Order: sequence, then structure tokens, then C-alpha cells
Amino acid sequence: MDVTARTDKGDVINIGKKEFREIGVDLEGNERLGAWQIKEIIDLSLPPGKTTKERFVAEFQEGTKNVDIEVTLTYHQTPAYQSVVHKVSRKVNFDR
Amino acid sequence: MRATKIIGLMMVNFFLLVPVLAVGEFNTIDELEKAYGDKTCRTCHEKTHTEWQKSLHSQSVVHSLGGFRNFIVFGLKRDWKKPVNRENLMRCMHCHAPLLENASDSLAAEIGELAMSAFDGNEAAKKELSRLNVNCIVCHNTVAEVEINLRGAPKPGVYYGPSGKPSPAHGTEKSKAITSAAFCSRCHWLYTPPDGDTLYCNTLYGSYQDAYKATGGAETCQDCHMRSKGRGHTFPGAYVPEMVKEGIGIDLQATGVRVQPGKGVPTAIITIGLTNNAGHRIPDG
Repeated sequence: MDVTARTDKGDVINIGKKEFREIGVDLEGNERLGAWQIKEIIDLSLPPGKTTKERFVAEFQEGTKNVDIEVTLTYHQTPAYQSVVHKVSRKVNFDR
Repeated sequence: MRATKIIGLMMVNFFLLVPVLAVGEFNTIDELEKAYGDKTCRTCHEKTHTEWQKSLHSQSVVHSLGGFRNFIVFGLKRDWKKPVNRENLMRCMHCHAPLLENASDSLAAEIGELAMSAFDGNEAAKKELSRLNVNCIVCHNTVAEVEINLRGAPKPGVYYGPSGKPSPAHGTEKSKAITSAAFCSRCHWLYTPPDGDTLYCNTLYGSYQDAYKATGGAETCQDCHMRSKGRGHTFPGAYVPEMVKEGIGIDLQATGVRVQPGKGVPTAIITIGLTNNAGHRIPDG
């Protein structure tokens, strides 16, 4: 999941990213740990029936009046094949 | 009378065409495909076969080349110092290509080499491996029973399904197991190969049982991945964007503040909620 902001001055700023990945391999398909080893350590996936919340706090240059926040959720099926699951945006105004 | 004879001949032909569980050791992929291939099933089950061709079950070997490569290179060769033979390869292939159980050691070794070569981009090797998969005979015969030691192994030449509707082409039997989530769990959960080890590969069914069923979830794998929206034997999963979109909901909340009004730093507070609507964790397999 990638979070970006486009300011009213046209700048695009990367705010942050979060990976919910399958155990054992990274997004490039490289082995990190054996499947059972990583399962002993942590579960990085989205659990069923639950909402997982991520919070980002982003600061912008003085004079910025508003930004468009965009969140892109991409599913990495294989290193070669990825698909965008959701792309949502919201305008944020600083001079309310 | 003439019509009866023709039907009789057709039935004989069908019986000869339909693959049966042959016993023996196979030395080539051609031999395996001849004994267990899916093409003859298409004669009568064209729609189902076309659906299956779109599924990852039809690509269960070529779609997992990275995993095989990791298993062979980092597991068998580096960590465990074990040969790439049938016994060891079946730890993967019992799920990815169960019919290799009847392969010779030399064929198993050849398939291991093909997997490595295909991973490195050899298209000819990939094409050869694409003939190995989880096809009709696997689910409808080889693994159709979940209580083999109690009920006995599936009968050769008999196809098990949810209805058990008679067929002129082959024997049929009704299977209650094949409609259950437990049926799918044998590959999509902890797996116990014949040597008795417990393999932790994809454990999707673990979260289905412990985090979905345990909290009131009522649907089975087949409900969402087959019956819903006429998905049939396409078994859509994470590689179908529509399926992932259905499985994950998103909510974006964002607000702007200035830490010190009038001269403070413009600050955005962004909260993103991802709701997993599926009956298992995402991602997994």
C-alpha cells in the first residue's frame, strides 16, 4: 500500500508505504526465511473479518493550502505481475 | 437395435478414452499425461474443462517455479544435502502435481531440472512442465476421499463428485467430502506427506478455521470460489483482480491541521482501514 500527496503547487510527495506480505518471501519473490520459521515470528497478512488500520502523519511546507492524498493498494501476485486493487483519494484543506 | 449397437460402441470407446488410475512407474511426462491427462475429460465436460484451464489448478507447477527453485536450491541442495529424487520432490508435488507419485526417480530428477531451468526463463522447459498440474482426475479421484484409511482408497476409473450422477463414460460415486472446506485443506493447510513430516507451506485453511469459522463465518471454500457468481471450476483467487477487490475493502480518512494556528506546519493526518472480507487471511494460498 503506497500513500502519496499532491500539493496545490503540483509537487508529489511519498508519504509512506506498508507491506502485507506472504510469509517466507519478499515482494521480489526472494526467500527471506523458511515458511515455518517466519510463521513462528510474525504474521504479516490481513486477518479475516477484521479491519487493519494504518495511520500516517505528513507535514508539508509552509504556504501549502491543500493536498490530495492518494492511496494505492497493489497486490503483488508475482514479481512480474501486479494488479491495483484500490486507488482512492481525498482532498485535505489546511485553511479551514 | 442398430441404435443400441451404436450406443454400445460409443460406451466402449468412452471407457477406453477416459483416463483411469494406472499403477506403475512412468519414465516420461508423455506417459504420465497419457495415463492421467485431462484432454479426454473435455470430450464430455467442455465447459468445466474450459473453466479449469483458466484456473491456477491448471498451472499448479508452472505458477510455483519460484517456490520449487527455493525448495531445491536452498532446501534440498544447500541446507539438507538431499538428492532431487521422487521421494523428496513429492514433498511439493503431492499438492502441485500429485500424479508424479507414479514417476520414476529419473523422471522426478528431470522434472527438478526442468523446474530450475524454467525458473531461469527457459520457455521450452516451462511448456513441458505445464503438462503437470492438478487436473480432473486429481480432485475427482486421487484425493477424492478424506478418510482413505477408513473408507478405502478411491476406486480406479470411478469419478467422485457432489451428485454421483451416473455417466455412460465412467463410473461415478457421490462424495460428500468434495463439497467441504476440509477437502481443500489438505493442500491449503499444514500438509503431511507420506514420510510423516508436517510441512508448513501455505496455511490459508488455518486462518479459515481459527479466525473465520471460530468467529461465526459460515461459508466454505467452494461457496466463494466456485458457487458464487457461477465461478465454477475457474477457482478464482488472488490472481483475479475482481476477487481481491471483493476480498479487501478500503476506507481512507484524512484531515488537515496546523499545529500552531496561523503559522503552524500544515499537517495531514491520514488513517487507512483495510477490511479483509474473505474467509481467510490475505495474502496466502
